[in-house]
Amino acid sequence: MLDIHELVAKVEGKQILNGLNLSIKPGEVHAIMGPNGAGKSTLGNVLTGRAGYDVVSGDVTFNGKNLFELEVEERAREGVFLAFQYPVEIPGVSNMEFLKASVDARRKHLGLPELSSFDFMKLARECSQKVSLDPAFLKRGVNEGFSGGEKKRNEIMQMMLLEPRLCILDETDSGLDIDALQVVAAGVNAMRDSARSFIVVTHYQRLLDFIVPDYVHVLANGRIVRTGDKELAKELEAKGYGWLEKEGV
Amino acid sequence: MSARMTNSRQSIPAPMSAFQRHALMMAKQQSVAASHGHLLSSLREQGASEFERATWPGRKLEHWKYTSVQALQSNETAVWAAGSSASAECLATQLIPMHATRLVFVDGVLDAAASDTMPEGICLFSQADNLATDVIEANLGKVAGTVDPARRNLFASLNGAWTLDGLLIHVARNVVLEKPVYLVYVSTAQHNVVANLRTLVVLEQGASAQIIEHFLSSEHVSGNNGFVNTLTEIQLGPNAQLHHTRLNLEHEAAIHVGAVHVNLMRDAVLNGFTLSEGSQLKRIDYQLNHCGQGASLSFDGVYLARHDQQVDYHTCIEHRVPNCTSQQVFRGIVGNKAKAVFNGRIHIFEDAQKTLAEMSNRNLLTSNSAEIYTKPELEIYADDVKCAHGATISQLDETALYYLLSRGISPANARTMLSFGFINELLSSLTIEPLRVWLEAWLRNRFSEDRSLVSDIKPATDSGAEP
Amino acid sequence: MSEQVESLIRKEYAAGFHSAIESDTLAPGLDEDTVRFISAQKQEPEWMLEWRLKAYRAWREMAEPTWAHVHYPEIDFKSISYYSAPKSMKDRPKSLDEVDPELIATYEKLGIPLHEQAALAGVAVDVVFDSVSVVTTFREKLREVGVIFCPISDAIREYPELIKKYMGSVVPQKDNFYAALNSAVFSDGSFVYIPKGVRCPMELSTYFRINELNTGQFERTLIIADEGSHVSYLEGCTAPMRDENQLHAAVVELVALDDAQIKYSTVQNWYPGDKEGKGGIYNFVTKRGVAHKNARISWTQVETGSAVTWKYPSCILKGDNSVGEFYSVALTNNFQQADTGTKMIHLGKNTRSTIVAKGISAGRSNSAYRGLVRINPTAEGARNYTQCDSLLIGDRCGAHTFPYIETKNASAVIEHEATTSKVSDDQLFLCQQRGLDAEKAVSMIVNGFCREVFKELPMEFAVEAGKLLEVSLEGSVG
Repeated sequence: MLDIHELVAKVEGKQILNGLNLSIKPGEVHAIMGPNGAGKSTLGNVLTGRAGYDVVSGDVTFNGKNLFELEVEERAREGVFLAFQYPVEIPGVSNMEFLKASVDARRKHLGLPELSSFDFMKLARECSQKVSLDPAFLKRGVNEGFSGGEKKRNEIMQMMLLEPRLCILDETDSGLDIDALQVVAAGVNAMRDSARSFIVVTHYQRLLDFIVPDYVHVLANGRIVRTGDKELAKELEAKGYGWLEKEGV
Repeated sequence: MSARMTNSRQSIPAPMSAFQRHALMMAKQQSVAASHGHLLSSLREQGASEFERATWPGRKLEHWKYTSVQALQSNETAVWAAGSSASAECLATQLIPMHATRLVFVDGVLDAAASDTMPEGICLFSQADNLATDVIEANLGKVAGTVDPARRNLFASLNGAWTLDGLLIHVARNVVLEKPVYLVYVSTAQHNVVANLRTLVVLEQGASAQIIEHFLSSEHVSGNNGFVNTLTEIQLGPNAQLHHTRLNLEHEAAIHVGAVHVNLMRDAVLNGFTLSEGSQLKRIDYQLNHCGQGASLSFDGVYLARHDQQVDYHTCIEHRVPNCTSQQVFRGIVGNKAKAVFNGRIHIFEDAQKTLAEMSNRNLLTSNSAEIYTKPELEIYADDVKCAHGATISQLDETALYYLLSRGISPANARTMLSFGFINELLSSLTIEPLRVWLEAWLRNRFSEDRSLVSDIKPATDSGAEP
Repeated sequence: MSEQVESLIRKEYAAGFHSAIESDTLAPGLDEDTVRFISAQKQEPEWMLEWRLKAYRAWREMAEPTWAHVHYPEIDFKSISYYSAPKSMKDRPKSLDEVDPELIATYEKLGIPLHEQAALAGVAVDVVFDSVSVVTTFREKLREVGVIFCPISDAIREYPELIKKYMGSVVPQKDNFYAALNSAVFSDGSFVYIPKGVRCPMELSTYFRINELNTGQFERTLIIADEGSHVSYLEGCTAPMRDENQLHAAVVELVALDDAQIKYSTVQNWYPGDKEGKGGIYNFVTKRGVAHKNARISWTQVETGSAVTWKYPSCILKGDNSVGEFYSVALTNNFQQADTGTKMIHLGKNTRSTIVAKGISAGRSNSAYRGLVRINPTAEGARNYTQCDSLLIGDRCGAHTFPYIETKNASAVIEHEATTSKVSDDQLFLCQQRGLDAEKAVSMIVNGFCREVFKELPMEFAVEAGKLLEVSLEGSVG
């Protein structure tokens, strides 16, 4: 589904990814861990095409398509979804308007008819209940006045609505209390199926107790330095990242 | 150095413009009814004399520095509008559907057929009973009259000179006016007609009301360049509460010069909102005076200008006494070859301690031929105050844009949504739900039908600027 | 504010003495003959006289500006003497030994040693006393690297091509009322030329002193930084204490050619008048620079003196990527009035400007920031950041902000912020509780408030500026 080959990328002139390789098959969950500054968030931003994240070399194919030939919104319509670490507030634009526009764009791309307002509302209410958000939030500005936890739940709700093929969760666990974490994890787990893949970027092993990964990768200095299963995450939790560097990997 | 004059500081008074002479003549043409003439005579005389002496606006006049009054300057043929009635189509399509006391004025004259009956306390000056006469006598010209003569707008003087009748909204002590008062001012497509509107609002102690002033053109045809000059005076007694909304949505050929003057007495509360589209000439002054301790006001404004339009807001908030607060937020989008002016002044008088005053003005330019002139002013003579203002001119937020794109929304659509949202955010302060819903729909329509108000400008990159 | 604090605002103006120097002073009055006299005194070429006369004729048709937030009695321009020179200057001194010892003593009293061996390390000084430049130190040393630093009257004779090309190119004769007056009657001032690629090896500085009664001072400064050069320049000014108001109307022009950098710092300490508002200098000054491609012009000013200040050091950002900066502290006390700020005119692409203005008002004074940020249609990608902060000390003073922001390019990013605050009783209490006296506490708070500006000053002057604030604030706390 996703093949990242020797990816080198820069942010503000500074090279952050240094030849990253990663291959993900449909239905797999890959966790990416690593110390601060390793390039974890950069990966999500590069894959979704954020301005200011410049690809120097390497290539990425997503379902056979060269991802870098697509604009930000085209990648999204192909089914690449990024759950933001810091979801932005957009006062004046209601969640409802935003969500409907997103869903319509994705459906149009898939050759499906637009949802009627009634059907959309029904769907939106269902999804908001799944992530324990009061449907009244739909009328408010995008993320406006949301707590950190509400913002993260809104991200998961958007993921449910858009039904992407590849979900990148960028430190979705940061700033969440245990209850919110479980809600988020339940949302993600409910969406796991044989056709959908996940990249779960996290600093802590805790999230992986709830979303059990097939693979755990350690990212350091812009490259994957070690790959293992969920046991690796536990080892990291116990030992920190320092031992990897000492081993000179 | 002696006080002898050499290079004189007093410039020779500028000659009157053709319009000034003509306007004074128009005032003389009016026949003041004997029944209520005594109420208006001093207002008319003082207005005429001030207007006659006033310097005609030009680039060198600070408060008209950026706005051209060319459209009026040489007009010697303007005539008083004859009253007519609003077309059914106009009433059906342009009015805001809401449960309210609706009064419709067509070219300045009440269209009784299209209006509701006036409830107690609301009347034309010409139909004032004894109580209303007392209220008019005690208040008319008194709110506007407190403006520093050096800053007085000559069109406010002209409004006085031209006042033949007016509308009084009087809310008695502790009365809560449940129904909003919806004032509709229709300009018809008659060429070169003049309408002069004078409104006096008096809320006695503890009274409460909601007033909407809605200006529109009956037909959206070009050439409808009638001139509407308005002045609304509002006296808020102790503990009175007013929601005041003013919408200027006339055709772009319209010439509108308007003013709203408010005095707030002890613990009075004003929630103001204004939205204007630009036109050939649109100038709106707000003068808000804190006259009693504990008064507070919040005031939001929106201006949207495109094509060749201009729109000019001058606001002045005077904290004349201690312990008052004011919060002001203005936003504007200017596109095509349009021009917008925002001059927001906060004046804290000596001894007006414990004042809290904040003002914010944000702007989006959507074209390199558009112009924005903003001047947020502070004049402060008391030290124990919290005052701040901020003004920005920028582009759409890049992070927000990326967020929308990353959800698959097209760049064009995302920009429309964000430009709309930039303005729509201010609508949340409107408490009359049908009004807010109507305005949001109007705004949405404006943004989707015409991309001139949608920001497509990308911010400059950071690189390469440092030498 | 406590009474204790009130009692803190009183100290004498330290530079307020008058020196008994014999002077040739022109009788008061202004007409074409006055202009001719000044030009003749300076042995100017004919073209310079014509330039002055053109300015004078324009000035006669102009009106004094009234838009500033300042009030003062009408000035009678015919009651001012437009030229005064120490007698000893009649035949210009060939060396410092020939300079009137009283004059040297005057400057020593002001802390400006004129003997090069005693001079501040690394600072060359041009000294202007009333209408003439009396001495310029380190001229020869600077000449070695090609830097010209001399009185402008010398430059008119010695470098006519540079003067013809650049004088009036930034501030035209008819620019405004006071600039026109200055163009007609300017007496002296400094001239600086930094050749291509040269980094001026020392700080340059001019020290202005008004000494004679009823004289106006009209100096003119022109600084040209050729391509890729750097210069840092500082001016200081003082005047005796007098009951009469005296006029100072200077013009400063800066030209920063491609890739050049000019840093211009001012510590303005003209006599501010007494506690009742009597006397003091009217400081009506036009300062402007043009920045060409990739050039940078930086104005830093600490304004504590003058009865009335009317001053807007400005940048015309003509070249692409040019940068303009304005850092200002304006402190007013007693009855002083200041209307000061800047203009940033963005013409070139990707031009940047930063404005940081700190106004401190005490006593019955008024301090206003007045600024213009203009983005022309050609200034694609222009940016401005403006921050205006006012600090009020006492409840009888005023602090005002009048920013004009004009934008005609949609890609510009402009941010303007203004705040007002006071030295709060809580702040004072905290400082006092920690053992500081109220005066020290206020000066500490004020110094903190001004830190962003002081850090832009050359080191030795930053210290001076801090002390100056302390002195100017005396008696302001209450």
